[in-house]
Amino acid sequence: MASFISARVIAPSLARSLKQILFSCELARIHNHARIIPCVTPKYLHKRWYATEKKVYQRVKPHCNVGTIGHVDHGKTTLTAAITKVLSDQKLAQAKKYSDIDNAPEEKARGITINVAHIEYQTETRHYGHTDCPGHADYIKNMITGTAQMDGAILVVAATDGVMPQTREHLLLAKQIGINYIVVFINKADAADKEMVELVEMEIRELMTEMGFDGDNVPVVTGSALCALEGKNPEIGAEAILKLLAEVDKYIPTPTRELDKPFLLPIEHVYSIPGRGTVVTGRLERGVLKKGAECEFVGYSKTLKSTITGIEMFHQILEQAEAGDQLGALVRGVKRDDLRRGMVMCKPGSVKSNDHVEAQVYILSKEEGGRAKPFTSFIQLQMFCRTWDCSCQVIVPDKEMVMPGEDSKLVLKMIRPMVLEQGQRFTLRDGLLTLGTGVVTNVLPHLSEHERLEITEGKKAREKRLASETGGK
Amino acid sequence: MMYAKTIARYLHIKPSCWASEKSQLAVLRKKTGYTFSNCKKALEMHNNDLIQAEGWLHKQAQALGWSKATKLEGRQTTQGLVAVAVDKNKGALVEVNCETDFVAKNKTFQDMAETATQACLHFTERQPHIRGPITKIGLDAEQLRQLPTKDGKSLADHLALMIGSLGENATLRRAVCFKTDSNIHLSAYAHPCGTEHNKILLGRFAGLIALKQKEQKDIDIKALGRNLCQHVVGMDPKKIGTSSDEPAKNPDDETCLIHQEYLIDNTSIVNDVLEEYGVEVIDFKRFECGENLTVGIQPLSHIETCQ
Ligand SMILES: Nc1nc2c(ncn2[C@@H]2O[C@H](COP(=O)(O)OP(=O)(O)O)[C@@H](O)[C@H]2O)c(=O)[nH]1
Ligand SMILES: [Mg+2]
Repeated sequence: MASFISARVIAPSLARSLKQILFSCELARIHNHARIIPCVTPKYLHKRWYATEKKVYQRVKPHCNVGTIGHVDHGKTTLTAAITKVLSDQKLAQAKKYSDIDNAPEEKARGITINVAHIEYQTETRHYGHTDCPGHADYIKNMITGTAQMDGAILVVAATDGVMPQTREHLLLAKQIGINYIVVFINKADAADKEMVELVEMEIRELMTEMGFDGDNVPVVTGSALCALEGKNPEIGAEAILKLLAEVDKYIPTPTRELDKPFLLPIEHVYSIPGRGTVVTGRLERGVLKKGAECEFVGYSKTLKSTITGIEMFHQILEQAEAGDQLGALVRGVKRDDLRRGMVMCKPGSVKSNDHVEAQVYILSKEEGGRAKPFTSFIQLQMFCRTWDCSCQVIVPDKEMVMPGEDSKLVLKMIRPMVLEQGQRFTLRDGLLTLGTGVVTNVLPHLSEHERLEITEGKKAREKRLASETGGK
Repeated sequence: MMYAKTIARYLHIKPSCWASEKSQLAVLRKKTGYTFSNCKKALEMHNNDLIQAEGWLHKQAQALGWSKATKLEGRQTTQGLVAVAVDKNKGALVEVNCETDFVAKNKTFQDMAETATQACLHFTERQPHIRGPITKIGLDAEQLRQLPTKDGKSLADHLALMIGSLGENATLRRAVCFKTDSNIHLSAYAHPCGTEHNKILLGRFAGLIALKQKEQKDIDIKALGRNLCQHVVGMDPKKIGTSSDEPAKNPDDETCLIHQEYLIDNTSIVNDVLEEYGVEVIDFKRFECGENLTVGIQPLSHIETCQ
């Protein structure tokens, strides 16, 4: 087993031919291998073995993603620059110039072009990824690609203007991208008096409550980002920034690290090693895998229980592996033919199969490699997720069509249940063309057998059925 | 600060107490919605007299809007809305731009797009209809700004007021108006068709299509027109095309309307549908918000001025 897995890691092509010879693997599977969709894992999970070689970048502090939202001109970019400046004085960040943030080049994530500035800094207690986007659509794309899914936000409001009519839209966006924790920064205190600041604070609390946030307890910090950036008036400048960061540290909860979640490994390959048993390989997506642990295999409408009797990574037998590790696991009592690529190996009971979900999806524009035409409900697409793919029917619930280059809510009905949960990212394809990327926002009730059959029925049959259904009423 | 918080909570529970507890500034802001800076200035100028300050603010709103608009002028407006409406034999397609898509979702901005569309319809009404089935009038930014509205102000005045309240630059970019003979049917479509208000459709894409019935057939021309217009909005044909136009080799590259796969039913092409219903497409126009944007106001050459 040891030699086999190392061979795969060092020379995948060799491994593939080996596999063909040794296990007479069907061509179809090899084809599948080429279609693996890379799964985005936060940087901090990557390759933990590097740390032992040389101390490149050790991140011991917990990580949290935040971002700024607010009206144009209220000072989001200035605040972002000011935060890095103030923290750089404490050697906790690299100072970024206003112009670097404002003219950040467009980023490409999962083939999607996003207008976004990503900045890094740390406080005494946490490490932060900070997102600053110009528009609603960019925040949605950022959420869908998941490169820095925001755990909380800083709402910037200028004391000189107060809450703007579109502040509502900003808060709605926060809701839509799943942000529940917002810290408010009342900016431009240098240009406003105490009374104005107090009234602005009142207004914000009122509006936030109206929009379903905990307006009464939302932390509100007042200051001047410009003063902080220019190193003037420390009491409303640098000190206000530190106060804001202290509130962010306190109020926005640290998200659960992948490492702390129940273990889950999407199966890439299954081998049968004569004399030892069945081995599954893949990258541990989350959690810690220990030798001797009970596990469960879920997918393709099956659930099988087993025990992990051996873990191996890079020629070595290990007692345990962590999220991010590429490994092979020897499992007891299951046959190779019972398992297949696309299933997951996980902590028993920690995940479920689903076949009916609601998702937020971004449809690639033609320039991004997507298709040129819009699509309408009932289109059949192939859904790719982790190591599996599955045919599904797409329903567009709140518009009549979806144009390339726009994001949309979609309901997906899959022809078979697969392991899929809220927050899971996936890709939709039409033949060889990647159509879009999405994230599951809601799990819907399982399809009935009847509904499952309706997925595959033709257009004519569907129209006939719909006509008779409405006619019958 | 602490004090403010307590008040805030107290007020939150009992909003009716607002007025008596609050300062003049708070009352004025709540009442008028103008920025804190402006409310403060108004009070200072009128010895804290609320009524005078409010009167002054309303009087100043237009001027303040104009000064804000001048300040923000030149900032790029790549977002916004396309509005479309049909009123009997008149149709108007208008694009209004702003800086962020947040503002494009705001009611105040949507109202602006509506006002602009109404002004265009009204303008079309007053234009002479030249012989031929359809008269098409293109308006550029400057022409749009000059259009009068119901309340007597120009669209430019409305725009400045809106800029004053939203604090973002905005521009009236372009419009196309259709005026037709009575035997022509006009249809409109906007995508995403989120809001329809006063018969005006708002979206990021919108289109107008003019159809003529060739045969006396009992068909639902309203539904057909809407579907064909959705097709135009979705498939972006470049011209109607005639039977002498060769269909493209790859159907996905087809730019002639009549040869395109019908969006509503991809088993047929548009021409088949037109034949089946005995209908002819006389003209169409489609706008996509922010398309071929050049920085600043676009050159006149981009605008169709027919007639
Ligand atoms: N007086 C004052 N001006 C500020 C302050 N913060 C930002 N500004 C100014 O407000 C304008 C808009 O700031 P910017 O950061 O670009 O806002 P954004 O559009 O929200 O990113 C710039 O001219 C800043 O210099 C502040 O604390 N006081
Ligand atoms: Mg900015």
